[in-house]
Amino acid sequence: MAQSGEIELCHLTKRFDRTVAVDAIDLAIPHGSYCCLLGPSGCGKTTILRMIAGHETPTEGDVRIGGESVVGLPPVRRGTAMMFQNYALFPHLTVLDNVAFNLKMRGVGKAERHQRAREMLAQVRLDQFADRMPSQLSGGQQQRVALSRALITNPRVLLLDEPLSALDEFLRLQMRGELRRMQKELGITFVHVTHTQLEAIAVADMVVVMDQGRIEQAGSAREIYTLPVSAYVARFMGGQNVLTGKVASVTDGIATLVSDTGERFSSPLNGQVVAEGDVLHCCVRRDRVALERVRRPPGALPEPTNAVVGAVHAIEYQGTYVKVTIDVPGREQFVANVVDSKFFANPVDIGDPVVARWVPEDVHLLTTSGQAGETHG
Amino acid sequence: MLRPGSRRRPWTFYGLAAFFTLYVLFLYGPMSAIFILSFQGPTGGLTFPMNGVSLHWFSALFGQQRTGDFAGSFTRSIVLAVIVLAITVVVSVMAGLAFRRRFLGSTLVFYMAIFSLIIPGLLLGLGVGLMFQFLGIKPSWYSSALGAQLTWTLPFGLLIMFAVFSRFNPAYEEAARDLGARYWQTLWNVVLPILLPGIIAVALFGFTLSYDEFPRTLIPIGSRNTLPLEIWAMTTNVTSPALYALGTLTTAISFVAIAIALTSIALIQRRRTRRGTRADAGD
Repeated sequence: MAQSGEIELCHLTKRFDRTVAVDAIDLAIPHGSYCCLLGPSGCGKTTILRMIAGHETPTEGDVRIGGESVVGLPPVRRGTAMMFQNYALFPHLTVLDNVAFNLKMRGVGKAERHQRAREMLAQVRLDQFADRMPSQLSGGQQQRVALSRALITNPRVLLLDEPLSALDEFLRLQMRGELRRMQKELGITFVHVTHTQLEAIAVADMVVVMDQGRIEQAGSAREIYTLPVSAYVARFMGGQNVLTGKVASVTDGIATLVSDTGERFSSPLNGQVVAEGDVLHCCVRRDRVALERVRRPPGALPEPTNAVVGAVHAIEYQGTYVKVTIDVPGREQFVANVVDSKFFANPVDIGDPVVARWVPEDVHLLTTSGQAGETHG
Repeated sequence: MLRPGSRRRPWTFYGLAAFFTLYVLFLYGPMSAIFILSFQGPTGGLTFPMNGVSLHWFSALFGQQRTGDFAGSFTRSIVLAVIVLAITVVVSVMAGLAFRRRFLGSTLVFYMAIFSLIIPGLLLGLGVGLMFQFLGIKPSWYSSALGAQLTWTLPFGLLIMFAVFSRFNPAYEEAARDLGARYWQTLWNVVLPILLPGIIAVALFGFTLSYDEFPRTLIPIGSRNTLPLEIWAMTTNVTSPALYALGTLTTAISFVAIAIALTSIALIQRRRTRRGTRADAGD
């Protein structure tokens, strides 16, 4: 299909009775890109996918694919195909007949549709399983059948609803690479719904972080991870420590913040105009935090700058780094990801008093506080 | 698991075992007596002892008019049961589809539909008979009796379809729609085949409930009896083992109907799990 698979959502809204599942969303997904809708369950991501697919009717707003409104059109006329969560393979049909289903509905003769379905299955190396029933296949094989069944319609947009959630960890990592490769090969738009942060940033060109029916941030995976706009995104993506404080002074575009518990942080303002006393949020990456054991109990230390003081709460070895969680009195837990060689050169133990330091250059200002920012994390 | 003898059985075990023994005795004792006595020799009577073994009373069923209209009532019962089966299946499936969505008054309609399950059957039959008399229509097995039997089989069929649909994943329908199937194509190619085992169960219920039906059918049957009514009539005027032969034969027919239904369900299930295992190369 030569048509463009560019998707535009214009003020898209979906209400179920009283609850707003999707709240006036505007989003443009470029043709041929891999887009991940990411958010906790109930954030509206699946509802958006289903509205693009035509399985749900928007309450307000428009869905445009290739520049044309598709609201009211059945799925096949939209040029979309959906891969369902748990795949929804027809249990009474063989693998071959599952893949050939769309052709059968279009009235293609048996010999031809079986021929084409076999070619499709050969592409995912499942041709020898053509005569099996879906229940006889492993999860990974079922997923490939579901993919073949969707792709035989020649879609310009493939919609994937939690495509990897039914697989075990090992297969999940393998299949997400496979999906990415397939998307590149086909050159069509993929929209992939997931609640797993690492899955989203691993595959997507464009990550859309959602919360409570709204888009918190849309951007490249690297932007979302390293330059979150809000405390919600920073906390949800998990690679950051969020710091909150009142502006005490501003010098050369750098603000000094004072937290409730008396710590002082520097944060670049990136041109943002603030007044003394404003509450600002900023974040510092977990892997840019240096850890040092201190002799004296935390209470006896002077008030730190660009550092927090606390006691080690948990230590998790992650292979290339060690994740150290620190209990800091009066604020949320602070996390330092310490490179393994550094950690084991000077290890700390649970309960040890430590100081976690960073340099102001690694601090990123969060421009919107995010309405959910205070309650998450 | 407990080793045998490692713990004493609770008293409830003995209570239940005693009850079950009684149950088996009541159910299979008389039945096997009738079954054995139906093979009574030509000179034998209604009670033990057996006076030789023969198929005499089975042939008597078909041979002599004196034993009642066996062939006619049997044919009527089978035809009626097939009609009831067909209507029950079609209406229950359609109603099951309709009840998947909540509509205005759906709860009321549902309770109205299953209300007949708690009305005494004889009373319902009487009502149907009276209504036909009042309307001046001659009651008959294919009209009034058919209607009376449907008040019994339809609620059952509906309840089974509720159970069947509650386990049906609507994602199959969405997947079919996503792949370009129209409503009727989805119904024919996806919904009905997936629900087929449940639909066969409804058919089995429709058939056997009708074939055995007595209280609702008794009054609105009109002048020609179904088999159970004929057997009832025969118990009062037939005094030969032909009655037992009839019992054995009708029970056998019920068993055949059940066997057909269960076998076809088993075959469908097996087809879904075992077919095409010839290619066994690993993933």
